[in-house]
Amino acid sequence: MRNIFYVIPILFLIAACQEEGILTRDQEEVIVNPTAELKYYGTFVPTSGITVNGDAKIYLENNQYKVQLENFAVSGGPDLKVYLSKSASPNEFVNLGNLTSQTVYPIPASVIVSEYSHVLIHCQQYNHLFAIAPLTQN
Amino acid sequence: MKKIFFFLIFLLFVNEITAQGCSDAGICSVNKGFVVDSLQLKNTLEFSSVYSLGEADLQYLSHYISYTKRFNERFAFSSKVTLSTADGSFGTRTQFGDAFLIGNYTFKEKNNKQWSALLGLKFPFTASNLKINGYSLPMDYQSSLGTIDVFLGTSLHYKRWDFNATFQIPIINLNKNSYFKEFGGTDDFPSTNLFERKPDALFRATYSIKSPTSKFIFKPNVLFIYHLGEDSFENIFGQRENIKGSDGLTINGNLITTYTFNKQNQIELFIAAPFVVRDVRPDGLTRSFVLGIQYQYFF
Repeated sequence: MRNIFYVIPILFLIAACQEEGILTRDQEEVIVNPTAELKYYGTFVPTSGITVNGDAKIYLENNQYKVQLENFAVSGGPDLKVYLSKSASPNEFVNLGNLTSQTVYPIPASVIVSEYSHVLIHCQQYNHLFAIAPLTQN
Repeated sequence: MKKIFFFLIFLLFVNEITAQGCSDAGICSVNKGFVVDSLQLKNTLEFSSVYSLGEADLQYLSHYISYTKRFNERFAFSSKVTLSTADGSFGTRTQFGDAFLIGNYTFKEKNNKQWSALLGLKFPFTASNLKINGYSLPMDYQSSLGTIDVFLGTSLHYKRWDFNATFQIPIINLNKNSYFKEFGGTDDFPSTNLFERKPDALFRATYSIKSPTSKFIFKPNVLFIYHLGEDSFENIFGQRENIKGSDGLTINGNLITTYTFNKQNQIELFIAAPFVVRDVRPDGLTRSFVLGIQYQYFF
């Protein structure tokens, strides 16, 4: 019986793993067409204890707005999201998805982009704001 | 009685299996502690492995280990830890699920009727926001609902019948799931960003049939689960939305076969499937077929 007590936790540890599938493989990098029109831009500033570099730019390409993160790097976080926000804090926002290796985040067609003034990097799980990019109209 | 037995078998195997079934979210198996073992040993260790099918192309392999201490004729205490692997188009994800702490009190038998009462808690090991390669996963891939739940239940044992009624009530929501259908690449699963789940009410009726030598016990049972309200999630605009059709009734059929080797060892096989379901199952409790084995060691 004692052996079982040793074996079970080891099996559990071995079993605690993950493997990517068709829907979680790295996607081909989306790029903004060079002919796309730059509408808004801003530079990220970090919140306390966070390091961030890079810019947020909003392009209009074929009637589709897209946020592009350029030369972007940020401190690691467990659940980072890209928000298009109406202020420097995540109160009224559009969640554009998880911050991944992708640099382009499409904005849903129903969003009136001119009403939004910031791009935020926000950790949703721990409700911690990582970085703020105030937007300026081009 | 034979007719009921064959009817259940018929439902399990013939009925089109397209619906929500039981999962190891807790309520389906938590009432097992009520069963008064004929074996009067004070301690029980259980190991269980369950294979099941879920929504879309999902398959699960779940395990649990459980320890029950019977302090006296009346009071027993159980603890249980679950581990589950989900495998499908999003990939394979294995993680611990929940820890259960359950207390059972069995009242004195009167006129062939024996009542029991149950109070339990479920603690999640995760915030239900497991990811693969940085991609958020639907609730169907999560090993836990991400809630601290309380279980309140009662049971009646009458001759060969067992009736259980239990409430599973989320008291603290720790769910931080961040799956959006919009970004998921498939329509198979609904958005469950910052998911909030409503309570469940369960009713189960079990009939026990012993073989002449009592080595085998067959326990066909029917399990009714009513989800008491619509679950909700936070949409991409940060607004909470109810998920229409996520409330309502699930009915599962289950057949348990127990074989007793000796005073200390017992094995149980079970097979289950749903035949009435809720319209939408955002919590990922979508087992359409369940096949399990459980070993019990009494000491």
